Amino acid sequence: MMPFDLVEPGTLREALALLDPEDSAVRAFAGGTALMLMMKSGFFRPKRLVSLNALAGDVASLSLSPTGELRIGAMVRLAELERAPEIRRAAPVIAAALRRHSNPRVRNVATVGGNLAHGDPHMDLPPVLIALGAEVEIEGPAGRRRLPVDGLVSGYYETVLRGDELIVAAIVPPQPRRRALYVKCTTRAADDWPALGLALSLEADGAAIRAATIVLGAATERPMRLAQAESLLAGRTADAALIGEAGRVAAAEAAAAIIADARGSSAYKRRLLEVELRRALARLLDLPAAGETR
Amino acid sequence: MRAARQVGRSLPRLEARAKVTGRAEYIHNLQLPGMLYGKLVRSPIAHGTIRRIDAEAARAMAGVHAVITSAEVRQIIPSPYYGPAFHDQPILAIDKVRHIGEPVAAVLAADAAIAEAAAQLVTVEYDELPGIFDEVEAATSPVLVHEALKPAGTFADLKHLGGKRGTNVALEFRLRRGDVERAFAAAGQVFEHSFRSQPVMHTPLEPMVALAEATEASVTIHTASQSPSFVRIEIARLLGWPENRVRVRTAYLGGGFGAKLYIKLEALVTALALLARRPVKVSLTMEEQFYTITRHACTVRIKSAVDRDGRITARRCEVWWNGGAYADIGPRVTQKSGFTAAGPYDIENVAIDSVALYTNRPPAGALRGFGIPQLVWAYESHTDLIARALALDPVEFRRRNILREGRPQATGTVMRDAAIAAVLERLAQKLEWGRPFERGTGPVKRGRGIALGFKASISPTASVALVTIAADGSCAVQCGTVDMGQGSDTAMAQIAAEVLNLPAESVRIVHPDTDVTPYDMATLGSRSTFHMGNAVKRAAEDARDKLAALAAELGLPPGANVEIAELFRRRYGMQAGTIIGTASFLPSYAPPDLATGLTDNATPFWMVGATGVELEVDSETGRVRLLRLVTVADVGTPLNPRIVETQLSGAAIMQLGFTLLESMEFDRDGQLKNPSFADYKIPGLGDLPARIESETVAASQHSGPFGAKGVGESGTFGVSPAIANAIHDAVGVRLTSLPLTPEAIYRAIRAAAGDSLAEE
Ligand SMILES: Cc1cc2nc3c(=O)[nH]c(=O)nc-3n(C[C@H](O)[C@H](O)[C@H](O)COP(=O)(O)OP(=O)(O)OC[C@H]3O[C@@H](n4cnc5c(N)ncnc54)[C@H](O)[C@@H]3O)c2cc1C
Repeated sequence: MMPFDLVEPGTLREALALLDPEDSAVRAFAGGTALMLMMKSGFFRPKRLVSLNALAGDVASLSLSPTGELRIGAMVRLAELERAPEIRRAAPVIAAALRRHSNPRVRNVATVGGNLAHGDPHMDLPPVLIALGAEVEIEGPAGRRRLPVDGLVSGYYETVLRGDELIVAAIVPPQPRRRALYVKCTTRAADDWPALGLALSLEADGAAIRAATIVLGAATERPMRLAQAESLLAGRTADAALIGEAGRVAAAEAAAAIIADARGSSAYKRRLLEVELRRALARLLDLPAAGETR
Repeated sequence: MRAARQVGRSLPRLEARAKVTGRAEYIHNLQLPGMLYGKLVRSPIAHGTIRRIDAEAARAMAGVHAVITSAEVRQIIPSPYYGPAFHDQPILAIDKVRHIGEPVAAVLAADAAIAEAAAQLVTVEYDELPGIFDEVEAATSPVLVHEALKPAGTFADLKHLGGKRGTNVALEFRLRRGDVERAFAAAGQVFEHSFRSQPVMHTPLEPMVALAEATEASVTIHTASQSPSFVRIEIARLLGWPENRVRVRTAYLGGGFGAKLYIKLEALVTALALLARRPVKVSLTMEEQFYTITRHACTVRIKSAVDRDGRITARRCEVWWNGGAYADIGPRVTQKSGFTAAGPYDIENVAIDSVALYTNRPPAGALRGFGIPQLVWAYESHTDLIARALALDPVEFRRRNILREGRPQATGTVMRDAAIAAVLERLAQKLEWGRPFERGTGPVKRGRGIALGFKASISPTASVALVTIAADGSCAVQCGTVDMGQGSDTAMAQIAAEVLNLPAESVRIVHPDTDVTPYDMATLGSRSTFHMGNAVKRAAEDARDKLAALAAELGLPPGANVEIAELFRRRYGMQAGTIIGTASFLPSYAPPDLATGLTDNATPFWMVGATGVELEVDSETGRVRLLRLVTVADVGTPLNPRIVETQLSGAAIMQLGFTLLESMEFDRDGQLKNPSFADYKIPGLGDLPARIESETVAASQHSGPFGAKGVGESGTFGVSPAIANAIHDAVGVRLTSLPLTPEAIYRAIRAAAGDSLAEE
């Protein structure tokens, strides 16, 4: 690795000033877990890294409002998130998803902001946040703006963030009467990135579903809402036949978007989606999981 | 006073505290004044001729000391080819590259970052040649990896290959016992299957590293090597120097598993240090190891004849080993493992053809098991399939055919101290094989499977040891065995301590340094406990005899209870003097007949290992969950039961990775598609079975030190086929190619149902 400048500003304003939208070799540095891999492989050669690790206050803390809104500062580490009592209370699905995320060493340093800004489609957390209807707060020279997490990623490793903007927080709205679940499917080692991630959030009374949000992660270029499966379920009372149907509808609507890679062929991932969605719905709705056995 | 017995104690590793407190010495941390770092420029193509190397920009970069290519290397080493079996591997590519990642040039700088950046500036122009990648195709392909074969001459049985042209076959081993053709013609039933093993990697936590410092008169090489004596001989040969001008030393190794054997970076750093006239260190990244040494991909075709009583009457095995671009120790794997390809069964008629092939893949060498896991994968999958076809219980079928004590193995060597039957029976007992087995409900099915393998020790090989007693009675062992995490320091200390009636903790082990430790063939193939253990035991006995002689010389009656320090004081009038016990150990051996592969003395000892697994298969996704992984082995009498247990479980877990997860994936052009640890996955804690049990059977290796023999590999033997057999048991499908991924299993399930999953 060639020498480069590492600066560690104490305020967000200074950090923003040190970024340079004209120069892709100047970047924010949070946990560094993604950046270091890119630097080691020679894929990214920094000129200047703007470390956010000295930032304090809002950007580095987590809070739960009386209404149940979670505000997660961009510099909150994944391990803090996993253990925070506020998360367990307001959105336990996040803590559960993190337990199988990477490994403790990575979780101890990786941040929520870095996770979202990286735009890596193979990640576990973005689909979960999307399913919960979360937003990101972004600050730049023109001030603050808010975006749904779903609108942040614009493509394969691409986000709508400008070079002089920083993510300051993720905001998770209150989740009344919602049940959520994240399924991480690995096809190689247990601590691998997911071959397919499935985040679900249901508003339901018993088996009567009012609304469903279903987000497919990792298998597609960017996290994908499965709208047809969602509308199939909305307003229906679930039974074994319906959840089986939901799995098939989801697999069909995602079929063209699912990418084959080292973690599996597209046909196999479609199959995983079908089975795992059926099983996830069964778990959330307390139905027997048995589908057809092939 | 008699100390408690030292062998048989579960003594914690002598270096454990130093390791967990970060104080153990590793070559990786070594720096010398004036040292340069070498970074390699590697070939981006698998096969081609080098048209031009342009290093001007790199040489011009500030801080760059030199850029070295084969042209400079040949100024000091006219024939810079090395290797244990063939002198086929150039220090840096000469005129041609033969595999992806082959080193073409080296950049030297005092700053490693500058060397690395400058290496990116070296441009090499190639004329690409068609490559050959598949081991079976390589046998007949017109694409040749080497124009002429260059056997090293180290092994007598390869000499006849010298200068041979027009072939990718590095070695062909044949074994012929009885009359296989007649037996097949007369057979009740004949079964034939093919099995494939994928290329995988050793992945030691500490990648290869070597550092050389040279003067006109001598060279010292600090290296993470499993074979310092071999390095010394090979470097001396390359330089045309006597051995005593080459010093090779090691420290602890952060794992080896066969990756750090024979010669790897040592010739390169020696050449670089001589050219630069400065110490030079080359430490590979984790990722560079993918291009350095791998385990052989392997194809096995196996055919058996079985009579009405379920006895195997004949077996034919054809084995193709994908050796990659340079032979390394592949020819040994081909022969030494090849002769056990028919399995631990008593079969009258056996024919084996085991062929080492050159291809344009990265070189393959020894990896924990030395080819045996690839063979057991084939013969134990095959054995299970036969048992199923005959509707015989798999344990019972093996029992009927097992190779028993006193019976000849395929080579004709009579089995001695090989508790094969006892290992099988103990495994069956631990699994409660006779009891009904819970099969699971719903889409998740349960299954169980067993597999049994054996291995000969590499032979003939020598170990020499010194045991010194200082004037205060303290003891040091000087031996060339490299402790790479397997616990050999502790075992050698226990052996010397047992003989000399000392606590093992008080014995000091001097790490390999060819200036002070005598010759040892290498730390490989589970040979050290037996070979070096015997040498250390005899050297300690020699020291003990010399102490007794000293006592006699001093006029003491035999058995007089006088402290050692007192003997020295009386002899020298003060605390002075040294007693040196020495011994060398070389077991007897008879080489196999070239035409038939037969010999009555193939090996000094046999290793036996069996694996049993219980698992669940999710029939809707193909996912496998291991519930239980049981290893039973014959290791003779364990010197240190706790270390033996962890060697068995460690070996089993490593092979578990090779079975379920790991695979080097190459595309059609020989490019490695997953050269990173994000994409080449080794097992983590989350991949371990819920229950791991490892056990040894009561046994003794009568020729071994205190009844002991090797243990480092036995846990690997049966893992792959035991898992495949259990998957078959659970969901009724058979996989014949490794690794056993969930998708492969799921596809097999669908195919069996006549509803194949689409390819893409
Ligand atoms: C071994 C390993 C295993 C992993 N396994 C998994 C896994 O199983 N599942 C999974 O989902 N992920 C996995 N990951 C990826 C991991 O989640 C990401 O690397 C991590 O979340 C990135 O966060 P970071 O803080 O380290 O980001 P950094 O590496 O610091 O930064 C990443 C990118 O984000 C930018 N950035 C950082 N902070 C901000 C900000 N506040 N505003 C704007 N831009 C910013 C940086 O400039 C950079 O471009 C794994 C990573 C490793 C190294």
